[in-house]
Amino acid sequence: MKLKNILSLLALLSLFILVFSIFSNETKIPKKITKPDQCMSCHADMSDIDHAHPKEIFGCASCHGGNKWATNKKDAHRDMVLNPARLEHVSIFCIKCHKNIIKRISNSMMQSQSGILNVLKYQWGESKELNSTAGIADIRGDTNISLAQNHFRKLCAACHINQDEKIFKNQKVARGGGCSDCHRISKTKGNLHAKFTTRIPTKNCLKCHNRSNRIGLSYEGVFESAGYGTPYKHGDFTHKMSDGRRFYYNLPDDIHHKSANMSCIDCHSEKGVMGNGKKHYHMEEAEDIKCKDCHKPHFKKANTLALTLADTNEKVPEPKIIAYTKKFNSPLYNIQKDGNRTDFYRKIDGKKFNLPKMSDKPYHTLAIHKRLDCSACHSLWAPSCYGCHEVYFENGKQFDWVKRKNTKGQWQELRSFLRFENPSLGIGYNKKIMPFAPGCQVIGTIFKDKKVEKFHSMAMAGWDPHTTQKKSRTCVNCHFNPASLGLGRGNLDIKDGNITFNPIYDSTKSGMPFSYPIDAFVSAKGKQFQSTSRKEARSFNRVELQKIVGAYKCIICHDSYSDKIYKDFNKSKKLFYSGKTTCLK
Amino acid sequence: MLKIVIFISILFGSLLAKDCASCHPKDAKNCQHSLHYTLKKAINITRVAWGIKDSNVTLQTLPLPKTDIKKPSDLVDDFLRRKCLKCHLGNRSSGEKGMKRGKNCLACHTPHQKNGKCQKGKISMDKCLSCHNKEFVGGDFLGLFPKDYDKSYRAPLTKDGRYPPKKYGIDFHHLSPDIHYQKGMTCVDCHDKNDMQGIKKVSCTDCHKNLSKKNHTAYHKKLACSTCHSAWNNNSYELSVFRDNTSDYKKWKNLTLQEDGYLTNFLRIALRSKKKIPPKMPDWITHKFKEGIWYSGYRYKRWENFNLANSKDGRIMIIRPLFQYRISYRDKNGKMILDDANKIDGKKIEVWLPYSPHTISKRAKSCESCHNNPLIINPKKTGYEVLDMQLPNNIINGSKLTKKQIKKMTSKRYKKIRAKMLFGSD
Repeated sequence: MKLKNILSLLALLSLFILVFSIFSNETKIPKKITKPDQCMSCHADMSDIDHAHPKEIFGCASCHGGNKWATNKKDAHRDMVLNPARLEHVSIFCIKCHKNIIKRISNSMMQSQSGILNVLKYQWGESKELNSTAGIADIRGDTNISLAQNHFRKLCAACHINQDEKIFKNQKVARGGGCSDCHRISKTKGNLHAKFTTRIPTKNCLKCHNRSNRIGLSYEGVFESAGYGTPYKHGDFTHKMSDGRRFYYNLPDDIHHKSANMSCIDCHSEKGVMGNGKKHYHMEEAEDIKCKDCHKPHFKKANTLALTLADTNEKVPEPKIIAYTKKFNSPLYNIQKDGNRTDFYRKIDGKKFNLPKMSDKPYHTLAIHKRLDCSACHSLWAPSCYGCHEVYFENGKQFDWVKRKNTKGQWQELRSFLRFENPSLGIGYNKKIMPFAPGCQVIGTIFKDKKVEKFHSMAMAGWDPHTTQKKSRTCVNCHFNPASLGLGRGNLDIKDGNITFNPIYDSTKSGMPFSYPIDAFVSAKGKQFQSTSRKEARSFNRVELQKIVGAYKCIICHDSYSDKIYKDFNKSKKLFYSGKTTCLK
Repeated sequence: MLKIVIFISILFGSLLAKDCASCHPKDAKNCQHSLHYTLKKAINITRVAWGIKDSNVTLQTLPLPKTDIKKPSDLVDDFLRRKCLKCHLGNRSSGEKGMKRGKNCLACHTPHQKNGKCQKGKISMDKCLSCHNKEFVGGDFLGLFPKDYDKSYRAPLTKDGRYPPKKYGIDFHHLSPDIHYQKGMTCVDCHDKNDMQGIKKVSCTDCHKNLSKKNHTAYHKKLACSTCHSAWNNNSYELSVFRDNTSDYKKWKNLTLQEDGYLTNFLRIALRSKKKIPPKMPDWITHKFKEGIWYSGYRYKRWENFNLANSKDGRIMIIRPLFQYRISYRDKNGKMILDDANKIDGKKIEVWLPYSPHTISKRAKSCESCHNNPLIINPKKTGYEVLDMQLPNNIINGSKLTKKQIKKMTSKRYKKIRAKMLFGSD
């Protein structure tokens, strides 16, 4: 082994001498050998990438490759890599130190986009397998491209990490590829090396998380508006989004944003974001954080990872006793215990906040609401885009984000209407009650060989919309609100003990290929109209609807959680129906 | 001879009012006092909102627009003439394709048919709807709700892959229509001659005399019928209007459908043309073209939201914003004379009006629609502009619900009655 090394070194040296002798007349010879590599003789002024990778130790070549002892530009730059953070390069350079992370990110959903791809194929009837880990790498070589895959390639695939920066038309949302998608906060300019950080600003996350369920936008209280561009300002449209073609207005932002201007990374741990090394089917399996991890924390001594993370962060003080996530046992090094207090440190700047804990009041402890996800009550609104009318022109051309060139087939997206109020509720992926919104209600038109084909796939999706408010929705807002119950907009009432509902929207007359109202997840009789994107997820059924709306009869007067009838609601109901209470007398 | 005169006149659509008056003098006279003829309600409400105090003019006495523009009130007559008053009896068309109508009496009293025969009997609903579409009462009777303007809302495509058909120059959502329409009734079945000429206003109880006592007399005596029986209503929040005297059309590429047929056609031509097309729009009263194009756009629209108010005649009615204005004006040199003006003397330029949505359903709203409606029960400002514009201010022909009224809506008595109602039906 050693001999091999010496031999190769000798070979390199002889090559070096040869090259040196040829070009010595033309190139300036550096006066002395610089450290740690010869690159420094030209790039000594280059700034550091971050405080963890000082150039005095790493030099240039350990990350960028090339020929670090060459004495002229051409040789030195041979086989050099401009962006070593791209996933095809990380396994050569970064892997020396970050082996663990590279393995994890390679299997992560942000890399493979398997969640999007497989749900899409399932919903469009091209696959019966909702749970699959097949991702972008598995379809790269496909020649027989299905409709769903075509749609994925032209629209969705722009957002997997490791896209090529140069191909973005809109440089505001351009991403550098690989690690730099998230970790880079400035581009290289002259002698200023691109800056990397673990204090990732929300703005980087928003480069992707601004469409579909729009979590990043909603969190900041930004709602994509109905496209009027009003109010007009200075003779132009107003409130443009960074991509320039969409408008927005401001709604109540998430309490975490409002009260502490928290960034995404303040909750979303490195394991939750970059994965735990396993391939997952869906986002929620990869996700690490739960509300309770912070608001009802379990503290332990800080482990080595916590110390490393805090050290890399630079702003959060050295952790001693910290919270851990329940799911992957990841250290939340910015949730620190200090005596009886729980301190939250903002990762971006290390500012300290007092972390409010989940109260033990009846609304959080009563058995009647044990099936509720936090988001069911605490999410004020959710971006609900009804009707996703996809139009496909087979003869058109559009950019394929997997092949990275224009290919046949072009998509255009139309819509019916938008709402943000009273998100529907249903049974979510975690079998708990959570907010639902259209996801996605595809009504497709395909232009193919002068023929027009139609198809539709109507689905609702449950997710935490990231519009958390301290104050929850009111009792009536769920128990007697048709939109919240998933019935849609219209007139809800009870007649002869049965739920009656007269919808407003007339889908048939509006030209839809189905007869139920487009905003109806379920009928008043509990018949589910639209599918979901998870096996566990569904609308309320008949029994649940009867129970929820039935409870409203009591809620009219007993409108507080601390009312004694809710301690054992079933018993209270029995007492009432047997005439043993004073109610209504 | 008379038949020939009528025939020719109808052919050209310009039978003069006085021709009819020779035989129908009383009707012609009454018509001149009707709102259809004077349009004074719409005109004066808008003028007052834009800052003209004590406005009391009619279509016939509306002054010519000012040329020196400094504040919204200088611009309102121009706005009325070129945007709103497309719909007056003397105007043959409001610019939408296929919506030509006769003038004066013939505006309503004749179908636009090729043989020129005068229509006997009922006035067809199409005649009424050639004006009464959009967000006003009329379209709602048929269940029509104008879609958002942007091109991306023109969906779903038809079976042969075309944009959905327009009606009255507008692309509509179809919502549940009025029960009277479902049973085959038309506008004139209720709105008779006396109602049209402003002699006696029609009311539900003219026909529906024997109402069930149980639901109608116990506690809701002061409510207008439509307050409970309307299924939905048109709440179009915040209307931004912009008169632009420059030829900056490109940005309206996806917003050509602004419920204004003239504008749709104009933009279609201007956006295609290689030549520079000057920005011109007609004054619909004088029929002369004038410089500048009026663009408009809402902030957002809802059919499920509603608020209540006390109307002038003491009934509790549904109210809606018509409109919450934001006004811009750019002169031909590109100078912004008015840049998003939305307040006059610190007060928002807005008008809320009590009205009867024509979306009647047999089954009334649930009690909760009002008694648990946060917009009515808890009308608190949130500090978020977009949410606060749902709360009524500056109600014309009515007033806000009093605190006492609101308190009553959540009283113990109400709760007990409602609970009994719900359990009683168990």
